[in-house]
Amino acid sequence: MDELEVLRIRDEVLQAMYWMRSEGIAEAPSAAELSRFLAVAAPTLVPYLARFVADGLLEEAGEGFALTAEGEQAGKRTFAEEFADVTRPTHGECDEDCWCHDSPEEAARCLEERLGHVGH
Amino acid sequence: MSATDRSAAALPRNFLRPCVLLLLREQPAHGYELLQRLPPLGFSGSDPGRLYRMLRALEQDGKVHSAWSASSAGPDRRTYAVTRAGLEELHASVDALAQSRGALDVFLSRYAEFVDVPAGRQGVASSGVGSR
Repeated sequence: MDELEVLRIRDEVLQAMYWMRSEGIAEAPSAAELSRFLAVAAPTLVPYLARFVADGLLEEAGEGFALTAEGEQAGKRTFAEEFADVTRPTHGECDEDCWCHDSPEEAARCLEERLGHVGH
Repeated sequence: MSATDRSAAALPRNFLRPCVLLLLREQPAHGYELLQRLPPLGFSGSDPGRLYRMLRALEQDGKVHSAWSASSAGPDRRTYAVTRAGLEELHASVDALAQSRGALDVFLSRYAEFVDVPAGRQGVASSGVGSR
């Protein structure tokens, strides 16, 4: 098992399971439910779930898997960290009160002013 | 082909994306709330996985951002809001959808010149969120 891939899938699985749990969708989804949720083939996912159980991040719960306290913490933390840099405001963006939110025409005018063309 | 499959095919490709942006423009929301607000836009099925993946893609693209909000009934939840870039994508999507609607109106109008289109076939079709 490629350890980098393990880390990537670990974050994906823990974040998804945290989200499912916090939204009241599933407390202990089965491997099949998780594979549908993540759009990953179940045979691909199952060995990783076993690995995360061995690592103490998940525990078997009936037919499914539940987050351990450690898994829950990791899922929540990595969820927040993953997009921290993506959504910061960038230079040149208009502000919250900009008139461009009122209609597509005004958004196009706003963009035209900011970018020099109506690019979309 | 089931009724759900047929109606899913009737929706524009990747229609969920502008729908999510629109719902978040109306009001920031967490995932389950979005699932509840999608049916009037034609998504009658419940596929939280598809919504989750869409929210992640939108966040990865910088079109939405999310933050933790405390829940009295369980773990903290992610609440999503649209970003400036997301609003711009929404506006652009509406332009494309309006053009599609114009073409569809012409098509249906010409079809209706020789065939009566039953009212039930003119309405908005429903689709499962997970159908694409």
